[in-house]
Amino acid sequence: MSRNNIQGKVEDENSMAIDNNVKLTVPALPEFVDLVRLTLFGLATKLKFSFEEIEDMKVAVSEACNNAVLHAYEGADGHIEVEFAWAEEDELRITVRDQGVNDSSPELTRKSTLHGKSIEEIQSGGLGLYLMQALMDHVEMNIENGTAVTLIKRRSAAERV
Amino acid sequence: MKTDKLSFRTENKEGLTVIHLSGELDLEVASQMRTAMEPLVELTDRKLVLNMRDLKYIDSTGIGILIGIVKARHSRQAPFAVEDVSDHIRKLFDMTGISRFLASAH
Repeated sequence: MSRNNIQGKVEDENSMAIDNNVKLTVPALPEFVDLVRLTLFGLATKLKFSFEEIEDMKVAVSEACNNAVLHAYEGADGHIEVEFAWAEEDELRITVRDQGVNDSSPELTRKSTLHGKSIEEIQSGGLGLYLMQALMDHVEMNIENGTAVTLIKRRSAAERV
Repeated sequence: MKTDKLSFRTENKEGLTVIHLSGELDLEVASQMRTAMEPLVELTDRKLVLNMRDLKYIDSTGIGILIGIVKARHSRQAPFAVEDVSDHIRKLFDMTGISRFLASAH
């Protein structure tokens, strides 16, 4: 018999870890991004992340999904796969993946803020990637046969049980 | 899938139009928000205020819309402000640097 708990520790006779990741696949359309946020909220709550950490992750994951919705499929049908993994203790790893054709959109890798700019200079391009990096502990992007963005958040020490 | 995830309530006061936003301001409702704001941005003889007390979520899409309003009001020399911003949304405004362009309503 194996015992599988939400903390990511799966124990059987050999104490071998097995894959207990959660995967969600949604159409690459704006109206499904909130479903990804709701799933994240449920899972991160079970993992005892703080309210602020969850709010941070909701924005970061949505930014990755928004990029896939806006840039991956150039108007054609497609899907976004979101994989939640918490193999390491106190660390949630979220991968947002598309099989998009548009690997070369400059919007994917542009990072920018409004700091130090005049009102005439400010624009929204680059804010999404900036927020992903500012709100998560680590962000990896792999652009090859589509885009995969991996977002990593560690649970704060105060929340650990 | 059609949702009422973002709603607007307009309150007209002396020389002031307050738009109370409620719900989530994300990619799904971005065009709805832009359309709703278009005529309001043109009311240059009134101060325009966005009340965010009941705004539960915003991301770079929503911040992009705010940038558009900031620029449009600036070019028309018309005042614009936000009020009742939650701590988390304030944090996003500070991180991205838009806070500087969002005058407090009071």
